[in-house]
Amino acid sequence: MEVFVFSLFNGILYGMLLFLLASGLTLIFSMMGVLNFAHASFFMLGAYFAYQISDGIGFWPGLIFAPLLVGIFGAIIERYGLRPVHRFGHVAELLFTFGLAFVIEEIVQMIWGKVPVPYDVPASLNVTAFVWQGLDYSAYRLFMLLISIAIFVALFFGLTRTRIGLIIRAALTHPNMVSSLGHDVPKIFMWTFGVGCALAGVAGVIGGNVLGTEPGMAIQLGPIVFVVIVVGGLGSLGGALIASLLIGVLNNLAISYDLSLYPIFSAFGIERDVDGILSDLVNLTTGGIAPLVPYLLLVLMLIFRPRGLFGMRDV
Amino acid sequence: MNTAIELSGVQKSFGKTHIIRGVDLKIKQGTIHAIIGPNGAGKSTLFNLVTGRYHVDVGKICLNGEDITNCKPFHIYRKGLSRSFQVTNIFPKMSVRENIRCAMLWNFGFGYSFWKSVNSNKHVQTKCDNILVETDLVSRRDMPAGLLSYSDQRALEIAVTIAGGSKVVMLDEPTSGMSASETDHTVRLIRRISSERTMIIVEHDMNVVFDVADYVSVLVYGKIIATAPPNDIRNNAEVQKAYLGTDFL
Amino acid sequence: MKILSNKKTVGSLAVIALLCLLPLAVNSGFALTVMIQCGVAIIFALAFNMLLGQGGMLSFGHAIYFGLAGYVTAHVMNGMSNGDVPYIPISLIPLVGGFAGLFFGILIGFVSTRRAGTPFAMISLGFAELVTALTLIIVFFFNGEEGVQTDRWVREELFGITYGPDIEVYYLVAFWCVVSVAIMYAITRTPFGRICNAVRDNPERVQFIGYSTHRVRWLAFSLSSFFSGLAGALHAVNVEHVGFETVGLAQSAVILIMVYIGGTGAFLGPILGAILVTLLTSYLSDITPAWYLYLGAIFVSMVMFAPGGLAGLIAMHAPIRQLGSRCQLSMIPSYSLAFCTSLITLAGGVGIIEMLYFHSTTAVRDATMTLYGINLSVSSFWPWLACFALLCLGYYGCTKTYPRMVVTYNENINLVRERMFQ
Repeated sequence: MEVFVFSLFNGILYGMLLFLLASGLTLIFSMMGVLNFAHASFFMLGAYFAYQISDGIGFWPGLIFAPLLVGIFGAIIERYGLRPVHRFGHVAELLFTFGLAFVIEEIVQMIWGKVPVPYDVPASLNVTAFVWQGLDYSAYRLFMLLISIAIFVALFFGLTRTRIGLIIRAALTHPNMVSSLGHDVPKIFMWTFGVGCALAGVAGVIGGNVLGTEPGMAIQLGPIVFVVIVVGGLGSLGGALIASLLIGVLNNLAISYDLSLYPIFSAFGIERDVDGILSDLVNLTTGGIAPLVPYLLLVLMLIFRPRGLFGMRDV
Repeated sequence: MNTAIELSGVQKSFGKTHIIRGVDLKIKQGTIHAIIGPNGAGKSTLFNLVTGRYHVDVGKICLNGEDITNCKPFHIYRKGLSRSFQVTNIFPKMSVRENIRCAMLWNFGFGYSFWKSVNSNKHVQTKCDNILVETDLVSRRDMPAGLLSYSDQRALEIAVTIAGGSKVVMLDEPTSGMSASETDHTVRLIRRISSERTMIIVEHDMNVVFDVADYVSVLVYGKIIATAPPNDIRNNAEVQKAYLGTDFL
Repeated sequence: MKILSNKKTVGSLAVIALLCLLPLAVNSGFALTVMIQCGVAIIFALAFNMLLGQGGMLSFGHAIYFGLAGYVTAHVMNGMSNGDVPYIPISLIPLVGGFAGLFFGILIGFVSTRRAGTPFAMISLGFAELVTALTLIIVFFFNGEEGVQTDRWVREELFGITYGPDIEVYYLVAFWCVVSVAIMYAITRTPFGRICNAVRDNPERVQFIGYSTHRVRWLAFSLSSFFSGLAGALHAVNVEHVGFETVGLAQSAVILIMVYIGGTGAFLGPILGAILVTLLTSYLSDITPAWYLYLGAIFVSMVMFAPGGLAGLIAMHAPIRQLGSRCQLSMIPSYSLAFCTSLITLAGGVGIIEMLYFHSTTAVRDATMTLYGINLSVSSFWPWLACFALLCLGYYGCTKTYPRMVVTYNENINLVRERMFQ
C-alpha cells in the first residue's frame, strides 16, 4: 500500500511537470497553430540557466530569473525567427522549430559540454519532509509539487478572470475569429510564445536537478509532451492536465510494480522457455514496456480519435 | 426523357441548424437546370450533398437511377458526375495543361498506374488540347495555374470539371466575380459544353439564368418552392414574395 | 521536345560514365567510403522526397523503413552464412531490403495516411519512438544496444566478385543508385506521379476528379518505403552492422535536413542535398567539433530564407540565363558584395563558435588553439573582441548588400517576364 502511495506521489509529480510543459505547448499550438518542436529545448534552457544562476548567486534567484530569461528568449525567437517563417506555411514553421531544437541542443553542448552539469537540489530543501510507512518523502519534491500546483492555479485564474485570459481562451478554440476581432495578434503571439516558453523554463528549473541536467534531456522529454497534448486533446488545458497526470501516474506505477506480463502469455499456453521472438515477449514486465505505452497511446489516439480525449478541435 | 439526378426528401442539419429541410428535385437528362435562391438558402450545401462532400441526414439521391446517397466523392465522379467550385479549387503549382490532364486520368483508364508514362496515350493529348481550345486557355497552357488571372482561373475550374468527360456537370456560381464581357464569354462556353451533357448551375446572375437555363428551381430556406421554365418562374408569385429584390424578376 | 530528351540522355550517360571512373581517379580509401555513403544517402533522400516534395507529407519516422530493412538484410546475410536461408547473391540483396521496407510501409502507411499535415507528422513521430523503444525490448530481432553484426562475404559471385574490397561495394551502390534514381524519376512521369502532385497541391479537389486521396498517399508511402528499404539494405552491406540508431528520430532528422537543404521542389534537389550533407558531415567533422551545429544552422537558415533549398535557388536564377551576358555580368558586383559581407559575418560567427567549443572542452587554462591559421589563446579577450567585431561589421554590411542584391535580381527577373509576355 505504501508503495502505491509513494508511486502515486511521484507519478503525480512527474505528471505536474509534464503539465507545465504541456500547458505551454497547448497555448502555443492553439493560439498560433505552430507545433513547437523546440518546446522541450526551452525546458532544457530553464534547467541550464537555473544551474548557472544557482552556481553564481543561488537557487532562489534562479527560480525567478531563469524562467524570465527563457521567456524573453522565446519571445525574441518568435519575433525574429518564427514570424518571418509564418508566411511559408505550417510545415515551414514546424521545420523551423525542429531546426531550432537541433541548434539549441548543440549550443548547450557547446557552452556547457556533453556531460551532465552538477545542478543540485538546494541544501535548504534537500531534506526529508516526513517519513510515512517507512518511505522518505523529500521536501524538495513536495516543493516541486507545490510550485506546479501554484502555477496551475495562477494559470487557471489568469485565464478565467482576466481580459487577456478571455482572449486566449477564445483563441484556443477559434483563433481566426480572435484575429478578425482586431486584437493585436502579432503582439499576443509574441507574448504567448514567451509565456509558453517561460512555463517550460519553470519546469526545467524545478525538474532539472531531479531528472538530471544534460544536453539529451530535451529529446527525452519532448516526444512525451506531444503525446500528452494529443491524448488530452488540442485546445484543452483541462485535457492536458488529465493526460499529463494519467501518463505520469501510469508510468510510475508500471515501473514501481514491474509486474510480469507472463500470466497473459501462459493463459494462451505459451511457456517461459519458448524460442524465438516470443522469448522476448514472454519475459516482459510492465517496467520494460513502460517507455512504449505513451507512444502507443499517441498512435492509437491519432488514428481513431484525432481530437483527443477532451479536444475541441481536430489536430 | 430520363432523369439524370433525383433527390427525394433530402434533409441536412449542421448541429441544431436545419439547412436543407426536405428537398425533392428531378433533373432531366440533357437539360440545363439552374438553381437560384436567396443567400443562405442552402444551394452550396445541396451541391455538397449531391457530390458526396457532406453526408445527408435523411433522404435519397440518385444518379441515372443509381443510388449515390453518401457515396464517397471519388466514387460519384467515377459514375459520371463532376462539379466545379465557387471558390476556385485548382492545382496552383501545376501548369494549366497538367491541371486538365489530371482531371482526365481516371476516366481514361490510367488509374493509379506508376509504370506507364503519362504521355503514352496520344488520345489524351488531343482531348486535352481540345479542351484548352474550348475554354480559350491555349495561350496559357504552360503557365502555373496559380499565376493565372481570376477569370482565367474560373475558366480552368470549368475545364477541369469537364475534362473527364462526365455526362452530368454541376457548376457552382461559374460567373461569380466576373465582368459583363467575361460573363458573356462564360455563358457561351456553358452553351458549347452543354450539347451532350446535363448541367446543373447555381447562379446569382439572373441574366445568365434566363439566358441559358431550360429549367429553374428556386431554393428558399432549404426547400424547393418552385421548378419551372424561366419565364414561368419570373411570374410565380411565391418566388416573387420569397426572393428579396423582386426587381430582378 | 526531342532536343531536350537528347540532352537528358547525354547528361545521364555522362553521369554514369563519371560514376564508373570516379573511384579510379580518387586514391583515398576514405573518399571511397564517403562516395558509398553518398550513394546510399541519395537513394534514401529521393525516397523521402517522394513523400515530402511530391506528396506533400512530412514524416519524422521514415528511418523506420531504412533501419528495419537493414536489420532484415543483416539477418538474411547471417542466415545465408549459416545455411538457414537460401542463397541470394549479395548483388540482389538490396531488393530484399526493398521488399522488407515495402512490407512495413504498407502496414504502417495504411493507418498513417488516413490523416495529413500535422497529424500525419505526429503519427510518424509516434511510430518512430515506438520502433525505437521496441529495439531494446525485442532482443531476438534487434539484439538490443549491440545491434546486429553481419558479414557481406558469403560466396563468390559472377566475375569473381566477393564484395570484400570496398571498391566492389562502391560499384554495387553506384549500380543500385543509378537504377533507383532512374525508376524514381520515371515514376514522377506516370499518372500516379502526377496525381500525387495534385494531392500535394489540393488534396480535396483530387477526390472530385476521381481519385481517393487516401489511396494515393498510401501508394506514395509504400513506394517511398520500398526505396528507403533498398537504401537500408545497402547501408547494412556497407557498414556490416545495424544498430538501433538506424530506425530512430536522429536518422530521420538527418535525411529531412538533407532533402530540405537540397530542395524539395526539384527532382535533383535531394540528390544535391544528400551529396552536400554527406560531404559536410564526413569532412567537416574532422576539422571542427561544431560541424553538427553548423549543419543545424544551415538548415534553419534555409527554412527562413530559402525554403526552396539549393535547387530552389538555382531554379530562381535559371530564367536569367535567357538574358544576354551583359545582364548576367551586371549581377556580379552586387552578388559579390553580398558574398563578401556574408563571408565576414561567417568569419566572426564561426570564430566565436570555435572558441566556445575549444573553451568548453579544454581543461587547461591559457591553452592555445589555431583559428584560421592563427594561434591564439582563448582566455585572452582580444580574439573574442575581434570575432565579435567581424560579426557585427559583417551583419551591418549584409543589411546593406542583401537588399541591393535582391533589387538586382528583381530587375533581371522583370526583364525575363517582359520577354515572356511579348
